Amino acid sequence: MRKTTRKMWAAAAGVTGIALLATACSSGGSTTPAATDKASTASTEKITLKVATFNEFGYNDPAGSLYDAYTKLHPNITIEPVKAATSNEARDNMNTRLAAGSGLSDVEAIEVDWLPELLQYSDKFVDLNSDETKGRWLDYKVSQATDSTGRLIGYGTDIGPEVIAYRADLFQAAGLPTDRAEVAKLFGGKDATWDKYFEVGKQFAAAGTNVPFFDSAGATYQGMINQVQDAYENPADNTITVADSKEVKDIYTKVLTAAKTDNLSAHLGQWSDDWVAAFQNNGFATMLAPGWMLGVISGDAKGVTGWDIADVFPGGAGNWGGSFLTVPAQGAHPEEAKALAAWLTAPEQQITAFKFKNTFPSQVDALTSPDLLGVTDAFFNNAPTGQILANRAKALPATPPFKGPNYFAINDAMGQAISRVDVEQTDDIATSWTKFTDAVSALG
Amino acid sequence: MSAPSIPVIQQTAGRGAARAAARRRHISTGAGSDRRASWVTYAILVVVLLLSAYPLYFAFLLASSNAGAIAQNPIPSLLPHGEFFDNVHRVLTSDIQFWKAFRNSVVVAVLTSASVVLFSTLAGFSFAKLRFRGRGPLLVFVIATMAVPTQLGVVPLFIVMSQLHWTGKLTAVIVPGMVTAFGVFWMTQYLESALPYELIEAARVDGASMIQTFYHIALPAARPAASMLALFTFVGSWTNFFWPFIVLGSSNPTLPVAVQLLQSSYFKDMSLIMAGVTLSVVPLVVVFIFAGRQLVAGIMQGAVKG
Amino acid sequence: MSTSTTPHLDRRPTPPTRDRDPRRVGLRQKLGRWDVKLSPYLYISPFFILFAIVGLFPLAYTAYVSMHKWHLIGGQGAFVGFDNFAFVLQQPNFWRALRNTFSIFLLSSVPQIFIAIILAAVLDANLRARTFWRMGVLLPYVVAPVAVSLIFSKLFADQHGMINTMLNNIGLDSIRWHADVLSSHIAIATMVNFRWIGYNTLIFLAAMQAVPRDLYEAAILDGAARMRQFFSITVPMLRPTIIFVVVTSTIGGLQIFDEPRMYDQLGQGGSDRQWMTVTMYLYELGWGAQKSFGRAAAVAWILFLIIIAVGIVNFSLTRRISTDSAPKSGRKAKR
Repeated sequence: MRKTTRKMWAAAAGVTGIALLATACSSGGSTTPAATDKASTASTEKITLKVATFNEFGYNDPAGSLYDAYTKLHPNITIEPVKAATSNEARDNMNTRLAAGSGLSDVEAIEVDWLPELLQYSDKFVDLNSDETKGRWLDYKVSQATDSTGRLIGYGTDIGPEVIAYRADLFQAAGLPTDRAEVAKLFGGKDATWDKYFEVGKQFAAAGTNVPFFDSAGATYQGMINQVQDAYENPADNTITVADSKEVKDIYTKVLTAAKTDNLSAHLGQWSDDWVAAFQNNGFATMLAPGWMLGVISGDAKGVTGWDIADVFPGGAGNWGGSFLTVPAQGAHPEEAKALAAWLTAPEQQITAFKFKNTFPSQVDALTSPDLLGVTDAFFNNAPTGQILANRAKALPATPPFKGPNYFAINDAMGQAISRVDVEQTDDIATSWTKFTDAVSALG
Repeated sequence: MSAPSIPVIQQTAGRGAARAAARRRHISTGAGSDRRASWVTYAILVVVLLLSAYPLYFAFLLASSNAGAIAQNPIPSLLPHGEFFDNVHRVLTSDIQFWKAFRNSVVVAVLTSASVVLFSTLAGFSFAKLRFRGRGPLLVFVIATMAVPTQLGVVPLFIVMSQLHWTGKLTAVIVPGMVTAFGVFWMTQYLESALPYELIEAARVDGASMIQTFYHIALPAARPAASMLALFTFVGSWTNFFWPFIVLGSSNPTLPVAVQLLQSSYFKDMSLIMAGVTLSVVPLVVVFIFAGRQLVAGIMQGAVKG
Repeated sequence: MSTSTTPHLDRRPTPPTRDRDPRRVGLRQKLGRWDVKLSPYLYISPFFILFAIVGLFPLAYTAYVSMHKWHLIGGQGAFVGFDNFAFVLQQPNFWRALRNTFSIFLLSSVPQIFIAIILAAVLDANLRARTFWRMGVLLPYVVAPVAVSLIFSKLFADQHGMINTMLNNIGLDSIRWHADVLSSHIAIATMVNFRWIGYNTLIFLAAMQAVPRDLYEAAILDGAARMRQFFSITVPMLRPTIIFVVVTSTIGGLQIFDEPRMYDQLGQGGSDRQWMTVTMYLYELGWGAQKSFGRAAAVAWILFLIIIAVGIVNFSLTRRISTDSAPKSGRKAKR
């Protein structure tokens, strides 16, 4: 009995020591113990590239994985997907690992809202300029990701042109038109405004269906604020200007009046449990939907018929979101990672991703490709989603709104301010604004 | 003049003597009074058991359903829906890297437990049985360190890990947990009463060196308490969230971190999330079924000696 | 030999040992002596070394970091003295976090202890399948707090949660679990209690079983009813255990992070910080929007001081309460 005990302890001690060494050397890394020569371009060396995305980029759908396709083209490269959670989570992760100097994947997806924060540390990313990708994207998509010395730190993936998604069956019950062309006209067509949108909302509410008009004041606000050029900061020197901004305050007041006073909102927080469940319970009749949101709707509302989209957007056009693929400089295979990122963001691949997850391409060639324009979506009453989103994208202004290093944090604080009034109803419109300005002053 | 009570006998002469004395006196050893349990007692216990188990069962019910059904029926039916294995399959093949997280959790928990037991027994042996200068104050110091909150040091610990380039590696989670004050205290207590001086004396007289004495005498004697400590540490390490969350992140997660990743995806399929939660709970529940008795005994022994 | 392993019982003076030790001390014996002298220090060193690195050093380093502007990515900045502390103490969010932390702490610790003692008393009976019931009580302890929080968050969802639906079914209004301050605290405290009541029950059970039975016998002879026995014998004898549980749950409860963090999908503690705790605030300062390690470190030190202060208060309070309720003639029964 004693002998086994002793052997046990010896084994335990030995295992501890060896395993500790093993973990220290191998975990978290993405390479084989052999050559880690950064300049090596040997195409026969087996390497693994980690690709970190969030939300749904459409790269690894079970029905047709782009990662598998790439491995077929480059048999020595295995791709390991890493899924960060929401954009918030991915941003936290990016900041933490950048600070730590290690732990990031070879290719990291980032979102446009927090891109400006990262531009301050552009030296921690690989310069992605190349002849192969010149002219591939819309101009602003390139300039957003270029730092002051001309280094390009991100390849554009998608953009988020917005439409209005609506429940045709509920519209019918309220005596409103249901055909998508008619609905577009109802909201004002090319001259659609937010006032008109809320007016239709009041009309709908008066019809007595007892269904709220839109899902969330916060989401509606997103659509409105993305149309303002220099919403929160001064582009010249990055100072925070939002506390004195009449324009922002007016938008804030307008959306909350519609949400609370006119009670057009379903008072849900986007992405919350209740919001997800609301899709199955006639929670709301319309919502603003960028391309990538369509996949979310069809998923959460599985089994519900009646959804459709209209080729219209208050204020003309709006963009929500849009991502980039970056290559952090701390990775072990910058060259291969850059090549992978370039391939994933090629027009053909982006269109494939779009077909899976409605991530609308930002590549110039894709926007005019018949492959894209012919895409329809059965869930939304066979709407020509490709064409409609392309129309909305064309209507976008040439220069996107300015977003400085504090944009994300300020927008976050605003989201909470709206939530206090609309969702949790702990504050009224005025006090919540005061708390917002307090939070913003802590950022400076 | 009454004879010493059973618990006193137990503490001075050991459990065997206590049992013998109790038998002689025809009374119980104190492990459970002589009151017969009434049906009220059992009823209360059943209710407690149901309350303890229901949340887990709830997770299982949701995990065996689908998103649409869940959204429409906030109160799940009592019986599972039948889609459990489909959902489990989807979780395991999703981008969340569940297998990797599981593997990481196992590695971290096993290594941490082994190391804690080893170092705590070493230290416990010294504090309990060896005389050396400063023994008293040092032991008090060890106990005092239990008051230092663990969350306190996250910021500098993170900075240190960054400088060592250990972030994202499992080492960053294992090394800080390699020996605990609780472990040292636990082994000290146990060895104090379970390891008679005579044995050590005998070994020393035979010419054994300190390390040999430790290896051949102390370790075997410490086995019961050591296995309990291993179990505790394992549970604690497995369920640890805050520090792995900060230092490992989504690229190399442990199981709790992976579960958190499930929750915050945009497209929230509650059945998928609950399938992931159920999966993360299963391993430890299995351990509990096999070693639960020891866990219970360990907690209770620690309480008395404390 | 300076390190002796003989028990203290042997106090008789040893006779002079003139003949024992040879003048020359061989190398082997010298090594033996070093072995005995140094081994203890060697064996306890892993703990102290590790604690120095992982416990003491961070404590000191946190103080150092808190005195500087320290950016998450940018690194160390200028020395600012107590500015970070001043900033934090002026933030309404800090005070909200403090309020939340204490509220959740009280809502969880106090019921926990009461329920655990009662449950332990129930378990202290002569039961069949004793281990089964004890394991049943302990089951929640092995479920990770993260998982517990996800499950309970679904139960406590505001509009489509199970609990609110059940309330509506019997005609009551929904409770705004994710919007009201107190309701959210109750929900989170429930999660904490779920996990820890079983553990504390076993601790109290063990202490109860160590209560000498002759105390009860004497009380029965004196004609005391069960309730009287419970309050006059059991509870006072549990005093050290109660103190222990109170102090450990203070240290743990004031640092709570996992459960409130997972209570909603955003992890910020509510738009109005209804349930954000101090540790969550620490995380938000350091890794969130402000990315300021300096401020986060300041919060860490403030939290540490609070824990010590509250721990001491708890300790003396519990001692006083337990002593008051203990019968002055506690020793009488032993005779």
